[in-house]
Amino acid sequence: MAVADAREPPAPRRRRFRLDLTTPSLLGLPLAWLVVFFLVPIAIVGAYSFNVYSLDPGPHGFTLTAWHDFIHSSIYLKLFWKSVKMSLLVSAIIVVLAYPLAYYLALSGTKRKYVLLLLLIAPFLTSYLLRVLAWKVILGDHGVINSFLFWTGLRDPDHPISQLLYSRFAVMLVLGYIWLPFVALPIFVSLESLDTRLLEAASDLGASRLQAFRKVTLPLSLPGVFAAFLFVFIPTLGEFVTPSLVGGTSGYMYGNQIVDLFGTGFPDWETGSVLAIFLLLVVTALTVVFARFLQPRQVTAD
Amino acid sequence: MDKTELAEGRLTRDQLLKLAAAAGGATLLGTRIDDGLAALRSSDASGRLQVMDWAGYGNDGGQAMFSAYVKAHPNNKPQFTVMTNESDALAKLHAGQHPDLFRPYVGWVKYFATSGLVQPWNPKLLKNFKNLNPFMVKAGKYNGKQYGIPADWGFDAILYRTDKVHPRAKSWGLLFDDRYKGKIAWFDDLNMLVIAGLYLHHPRPWRQSDAELKKSRDFLIKKKKLARLIWSSETELWEAFGSGDIWIAYAWPNDWVQMKKKKLKVVYMRPREKPVAWVGMFMLLKGTPRKRLAHSYVDAWSSKRSAKWLEDNYGYGHANVLARPSSSDLLRALQLTNPKAVTEPAAHLDRDIPRRAEYARAWQQVKAS
Repeated sequence: MAVADAREPPAPRRRRFRLDLTTPSLLGLPLAWLVVFFLVPIAIVGAYSFNVYSLDPGPHGFTLTAWHDFIHSSIYLKLFWKSVKMSLLVSAIIVVLAYPLAYYLALSGTKRKYVLLLLLIAPFLTSYLLRVLAWKVILGDHGVINSFLFWTGLRDPDHPISQLLYSRFAVMLVLGYIWLPFVALPIFVSLESLDTRLLEAASDLGASRLQAFRKVTLPLSLPGVFAAFLFVFIPTLGEFVTPSLVGGTSGYMYGNQIVDLFGTGFPDWETGSVLAIFLLLVVTALTVVFARFLQPRQVTAD
Repeated sequence: MDKTELAEGRLTRDQLLKLAAAAGGATLLGTRIDDGLAALRSSDASGRLQVMDWAGYGNDGGQAMFSAYVKAHPNNKPQFTVMTNESDALAKLHAGQHPDLFRPYVGWVKYFATSGLVQPWNPKLLKNFKNLNPFMVKAGKYNGKQYGIPADWGFDAILYRTDKVHPRAKSWGLLFDDRYKGKIAWFDDLNMLVIAGLYLHHPRPWRQSDAELKKSRDFLIKKKKLARLIWSSETELWEAFGSGDIWIAYAWPNDWVQMKKKKLKVVYMRPREKPVAWVGMFMLLKGTPRKRLAHSYVDAWSSKRSAKWLEDNYGYGHANVLARPSSSDLLRALQLTNPKAVTEPAAHLDRDIPRRAEYARAWQQVKAS
């Protein structure tokens, strides 16, 4: 009996069917949010770009005219390229500036690193507009910088440096200032999570501090650097508030053109939608390309 | 899970997540939707006058101009939506906003009158109508019907600093003068193409042919490097002009008043090609259930008292010909003693641009260039 009992498979425990709604409930809300407030609006903008929807209640239908005009328009593409160059430059410069800052905060061992980090993000406790407008006071023809130059006699009051404000330079400077903490934080996080035993091992194997940085610290912090770069590049590419406040005629960017097409002069939502969708496609493509650099890396000893 | 677990904080992760999900679902499906629907219902049922107007003309400073309406209808104060320009208003109307009235400017009267969005006013319901400037009243008419009730008005002309700028001629050309590169401000509107057309002597600047429009556009693109700023709000202009960043600007009379208040040596030049005059026109939306309230509101705006307040405080003219500002400077600048100040031969009254979409596209190309 005992043997027979042993051969018999254990009687399956009868499973009680339970409808577990935890996951759908938790995922459902954010997914619904994403669909309703992100995907659907994008689809609507896409429909406007093909004239399927139109602001004008008159007759309309599917057409590629706006896309054709956009692709063959040197003005829009030139403006896009100008914005890409400005965003690339801003992103690259502030990544280079933020790296030593994040490095010091993460690896110097200072006990005050979180206080310093708080100081770094302190400007974010004030309004974005206020921070941008404050630069007008600094950069104007009779602003802080020019006044100082007049005072020192380095510049004649009748000939201030006019390129400081309402220029491409002003836009890039203010964007850099605004986004610097967003760059420093991801780099800080990637450096802080660095296993310091790797640095000790490198040192034990005879690597100098510079070699340890090049072979260990830098490669392992690259995902943070790429994340930081994307954090800045994507939003600045479509930026329109800062250029409209400090950019003047020469600091006009692609994002300003989109805003203008939707709301200034006479609304041209069809072309505005084309520009917006094109920007979205470029940003998506860039994110996909950069995503492979965001994976954690391994280092090997040579 | 019992109350003790909650009180003692002994919740498993799973329990906590279930609790959060249940709370979130209940909140979204229950309270919020009910609240939202209730809010919508109360808004529909309130019957309060809905006005779409420019910033500064609502409860953000313009109360004096409709105080007579509020006095007559204390339980039905107007609710405001801000429009940043006619294009913005058009987009909002198409997007489903239903104000009772709004205020485009004279160049848009024909566009809106033929759009099917508005209906004519009944001037008999406006006791101040008889005091409104007849030339402006005429400009508010389309097909014999009074679609626009004139209110505020002013000029597009040139403001410049006499201590820094020495014009070669009284001309719109000062906006394109190479000697003042980096000290000039243009206005962010397709009317810049009309100004270019006036300067280039196109016969009909509001109805330019393709070739003329291209010439105007290319001219502005060529001269854009001279302009440091293309302003879209007066505060932006005042800040740049007042701080000395700009010496020459496409401007409105109020800008001249404001700069004089800052003790700057400024002149409001009337160019030989003539300034362009604009007039704000109240328009009544089709299908409004509050037609009488809308008339009462516009009548309050049309009174002599409101008109004088507007002139004294905002520096614009008012269509009520009985009003006179306290400032003799403003009186002169607006030529308020001349009822024909806004029309030929004194000025070009802004008008319909039949090919507005083409003009807008050309202006966008200037800005993007």
